[in-house]
Order: sequence, then C-alpha cells, then structure tokens
Amino acid sequence: MGLLYRLSKPEQAIAWEGDMPITSRYTMGIAGERFFRAILDDEALWGTCCPECDVVYVPPRLYCERCFAQLDEWVEVPNTGYVYTYTIVHVDMDGNTLEDPRIMAYVRLEGTDGGLVHFLGEVDPEDVGIGMLVEAVFKDKAERKGSINDIAYFRPI
Amino acid sequence: MSRDRVAVVGAGMTKFVRRAQETGKELAWEAASKALESCEMTLDDIDAVIIGSAPEAFDGVHMKSEYLSDGCGGWGKPVIRGYVGGGTGVFSPIQGWYHIASGLFDTVLVICEEKMSSCQPHPQGAFLTIFDNFTERPLQPNLLWIFALEMNAYMTRYGLDKRDIATVSVKNKRNAADHPAALLGDANITVDDVLNSEVLAWPVQRLDVSPVTDGAVALVMCAEHVARRVTNKPVWVEGVGWNLDTAYWSSRDLSYPVYVEEAARMAYKMAGITEPRKQIHIAEPYDPFDYKELHHLEGLMLFDKGEAPRAAADGVTQRDGDLPVCPSGGLLGVGNPIAAAGMMKVAELFWQLRGEAGARQVPGTPKRGLAQAWGDLMQVGTVIILGA
Ligand SMILES: [Zn+2]
Repeated sequence: MGLLYRLSKPEQAIAWEGDMPITSRYTMGIAGERFFRAILDDEALWGTCCPECDVVYVPPRLYCERCFAQLDEWVEVPNTGYVYTYTIVHVDMDGNTLEDPRIMAYVRLEGTDGGLVHFLGEVDPEDVGIGMLVEAVFKDKAERKGSINDIAYFRPI
Repeated sequence: MSRDRVAVVGAGMTKFVRRAQETGKELAWEAASKALESCEMTLDDIDAVIIGSAPEAFDGVHMKSEYLSDGCGGWGKPVIRGYVGGGTGVFSPIQGWYHIASGLFDTVLVICEEKMSSCQPHPQGAFLTIFDNFTERPLQPNLLWIFALEMNAYMTRYGLDKRDIATVSVKNKRNAADHPAALLGDANITVDDVLNSEVLAWPVQRLDVSPVTDGAVALVMCAEHVARRVTNKPVWVEGVGWNLDTAYWSSRDLSYPVYVEEAARMAYKMAGITEPRKQIHIAEPYDPFDYKELHHLEGLMLFDKGEAPRAAADGVTQRDGDLPVCPSGGLLGVGNPIAAAGMMKVAELFWQLRGEAGARQVPGTPKRGLAQAWGDLMQVGTVIILGA
C-alpha cells in the first residue's frame, strides 16, 4: 500500500515545515573549564590522574569512570604524542569536494591514557603515517577563545 | 507469579539549581556517588545501570544516555535508558525493580539527570514537536496552553476556587524551605503572592508553575538477599504501575487523569492495597503545576473527584495533616529538572520511610508511601509504592 502513495516529487503532498527553535549553550563542566582555561592562558594541556586505577585522563575528568573516585590530582601533560590513526577528508558535511583535503588524526598524548582528535598541519597527506610523532601548535593568544580550536593543528616533529 | 523482592537501599542527589556549571555527566556522577556512599557500596557492587532523562533537546545532546553513561557508572556494565517524558523519574525505579524482580540482576544503580539550562532561549522551544504537526503547530502553540486549558476544564467542571488551588504552591514552597537541595524554598510565601503573580496563560500564573532546573538524583536498588546484608532499613518496592492515554490531547478528559487512575490501580493491586486512603501514609504526586498535584491526587483515588482542592485548603495535605502530600516540597519547591524531579520524589519516600528526612520528617511512623509522575505527551501516569 505504501508504494501506491509514493511521492515522486515532495511538492505532490501538502506539508508543514517546522523547526525546533532552540540552540544549546554547553558549559564545559568543572574539569572541562580548567582544561580549556589552561589552553587559553598557558598553551598547556592538563589531565587528571586516578592513582588507584593508574590512569591519566586527557581530556580531564572530574571523576574516574572506572572506580568513581573524585579526581583531584591534576598533571600537566606534554603537548606531544603520536598518530594513533588518521583519515584524509575529501568532502565536507554536504558532500562537496574540498579543494584541499584535510588530515584528521586521533593523537595519543604522551604519558596519558587519552588523546585528542584534531587536524594535522604542515604535512602532506602522502607523508602521514600511523605512529608519526606530532606536537600541538597553538594559535596566538589574541586569537584563543578557550576552545579546542585554540589548537590550530598538530604537526610532525 | 513469584518474583524476587526488591528494595531501595541508598539514595543521593545534587542540589537543584537554576544553572549548573557542571556537565550533565558531572551532575549524574555526584548523585550516583552520593547514593552509593549512602549504603556503603561501590561501583564494583553494581550489576547494571539505568539512566533516566527526559527530552534530548534539553541537554542538547542526542543519544543522551550514552553521553551520560560514564557519569552514571555505566562503563563496562549493562546499561539501559528508560524514557517516558516527564514520567521518567518514577518509571526509572520501576525499571530498576523489574531488572531485579526478573532475577536477572541483584544490584542496580538508577540515575535520573536533567540539565535544562543548556536549552536556549527556553526549553519551550523543544516542546513544540509534542504538538500535532498539522492541526496544532502552525498555530505556534506554547506548552502552557495545554495546562491552562486543562486547569480551566478542571476548575470549571468541579466549580473550584483558584485560591484553594494556590494553597498547593504555598505548601510546597514552604515545605521546600526545609530541603537542603531545594531551589525555591520559601517559608514566608502566601496565597496572595501566588494569586498576584504574573498571568502567563489564564488561569495559569507564574507561581502556579515550577521552574526550569538542573539536577540529578540516584537510587541503589537490590534483591532481598543483598538488601538484608547492606542495610537494616530496606525500603521495599511494593507496587508499580504505568499507563498511557490517547496521544491526542484534544481527545482526552482534561478534567480527570484516567491514565493515572489506571496506573494506580495496577500498583495498588500488586501491593495488595484495597483502601488507598488508609493504606498510603505519604503521597508525592507530580506537581509541575499546583493544580496538577490535586488532579493527580484524585486520579490516584486518594480524594474524590473535585475534592482535593478543598482538602488542601483545609490542611489535610500539610506535612502534619492526615495525608502529607509532597513533604519534600515537590517540583514547585525543590525544582523541576524533569526526570530528576520525579525520582527526587522516590528518594523522598526512601528518606521519610527510614525516618531520615530531617526537618521534613512527617510525624508518626509512616509505613507506606506513593510517588507518581506524569509526562510523555502529557498522558502517561507512572506510580511506585514503597513500604518500610
Ligand atoms: Zn579510578
């Protein structure tokens, strides 16, 4: 029966077009606020450490998801790591071809059990490889806003 | 049908606030850790996790329970989210009950969270899609329309005095003055304050309504053999019920919540309750609006139809009255982080039945309490009965 009512053009049926008129304002939370303030003010990356589980969380968490302890031990972590995996992005969200493909990598940060997903820069796609050592490049202070985009990209070292 | 008996053994909650800096995960974690602490259990002791949270649009996170799961202690465990809109706060412990009563799990952590302050300019916008896309949405309805039309239908059908209804708001905000987690406790509020507050959509006025709130609540539930080991004051789940009316609110009897009656009948039957007015000692019905507390008390068959407002005005539902109603302060007083607000009521019964409600403790030794929530497209009733 469904096939009988198939629309070959959307305009064939009367429709009401509605949206959900809201936007969201996300706070970064107790741990997130501190993480992004350190990036904003000091070009520094911090994590939280659970001594019980021997885990360093980056991005930092207020609590250990393994044992549920509150995490009060903050450690500054290096802004260097290695490419755990990566992809080369050729189309944007709408499917349009990008003039310059972008390299997106999951970077495991040194000395931590976490990492960040970010762009790679100052490197050609054909030269990227898993295991490559990289470092974070921060934007100039004037341009930083307390966001993950305060890191411009990671680049090979 | 033989089922394992199920107890609530621990409870915890965050403060209810207008605007939390914490993420939803962090709120959930705070409530969950407090609940575990309250019964000296750890995450290792928990077999499964249940997450209750109302519309995704409030937190602005799709797949909200997956997002919240680490703050709820869900890492590496069986996790499920229950969702019946505003009814979720009472439905989540019902899910906790059947996870255990089925024999599948011995211990369950139940967390309800809501962070409504994320939603800009107002959560009203997220509610638009609960209206019919064709017959209602083009009119640009406001959520308050439903309540105003329902309140007017209720008042007119039974010839109710708005002054009597306003006593509910006063009672709950005064009760909440004794709740350490409350957003809107006010020991000095009067009926005239309510009646003189801004008219939003007649007959609904500003102080008839509970506010947008952030918060989280958690419970620890166990099978009997675990409960006996963990505490000498287990609070038993004696009955559960839930029921849904038609999705077309314009086809409902707005003056009487028949779906609440059906949910209550299911719960009373399971609990062996034949005379609820004698056998229920505390009630925590859902009170996002003052008239809803009364509407629900009638649906729960704790008062005759149209009789609850007079009884409220006569003091029957005060904390020291014959039937204490919302001794917590309810949504009108403690606040209304949707799912968390509903489960706050179940936590309140837990504390009251254990004699741990502090300044809010109802006199005597209450043995049995009922909590109820309401939601979905304003047509679900969820009911739980707890007994000491
Ligand atoms: Zn840990």
